[in-house]
Amino acid sequence: MNENLFSSFITPTMMGLPIVILIIMFPTLLFPTPTRLINNRLVSAQQWLAQLILKQMMMMHSPKGRTWALMLISLIMFIGSTNLLGLLPHSFTPTTQLSMNLGMAIPLWAGTVITGFRYKTKASLAHFLPQGTPVPLIPMLVIIETISLFIQPMALAVRLTANITAGHLLMHLIGGAALALISISPTTALITFIILILLTILEFAVALIQAYVFTLLVSLYLHDNT
Amino acid sequence: MPQLDTSTWLVTIIAMILMLFILIQLKFHKYSYPLSPAPKTFKSTSFPTPWETKWTKIYSPLLLPQQ
Repeated sequence: MNENLFSSFITPTMMGLPIVILIIMFPTLLFPTPTRLINNRLVSAQQWLAQLILKQMMMMHSPKGRTWALMLISLIMFIGSTNLLGLLPHSFTPTTQLSMNLGMAIPLWAGTVITGFRYKTKASLAHFLPQGTPVPLIPMLVIIETISLFIQPMALAVRLTANITAGHLLMHLIGGAALALISISPTTALITFIILILLTILEFAVALIQAYVFTLLVSLYLHDNT
Repeated sequence: MPQLDTSTWLVTIIAMILMLFILIQLKFHKYSYPLSPAPKTFKSTSFPTPWETKWTKIYSPLLLPQQ
């Protein structure tokens, strides 16, 4: 049972070839490059969406922070499209892999921290001590702030992994339960099926929200450091 | 939990780095948002009449001094 349940999270390889590379690169096919002055509907819709997201996200940043605009829009589109594609039946979702999420979170977080250290050294070091702390509490608070700083990338990665994995697992479990219940008691199976539909709607929301949260937090760390 | 099987981590991370930092950014850096085209204001050109009214009035054939 355990083996069967987690089998959708095994990195797909076909006869030793890592197809996971193709699966991760698949969303690029869904974003065509604009080549004309007036583009077709798909490209125009995506440009409009990108502009909407950019305006919303980049408003709060200084000009230094706005140099990260391309990175952040790529991040949110990548995570959003990957999560949504993972909701198709029998598909593999790369964002369930802790490796990939750690690989996204650590370099981006480190980039924001190093940017802060290079350009505003005193201000970024000052983040370790909130204003107005009583003097005896200072050593403990510096330790706490350091721990909370270093846990940021871990939290980013594990949050995304756990949310998407948990959602997929729940869908597997409830779907399996609904299927098994059909022969035993069709009414209960119907109720379970309705729960499954509600869960799927939730998963659509979660897919998008997780992308948004990831990007928002990176943008927040950036704002602190520019 | 299959996510903790580190044998596949290298491939996944490299593929993701390639995808996120190169491929997707190549797609998105081509997006351009030009300003909406606004019409240019032309100076109101005075259309020169092919002849001056005064000139016509003086030099019209019937007004020339009779030969």
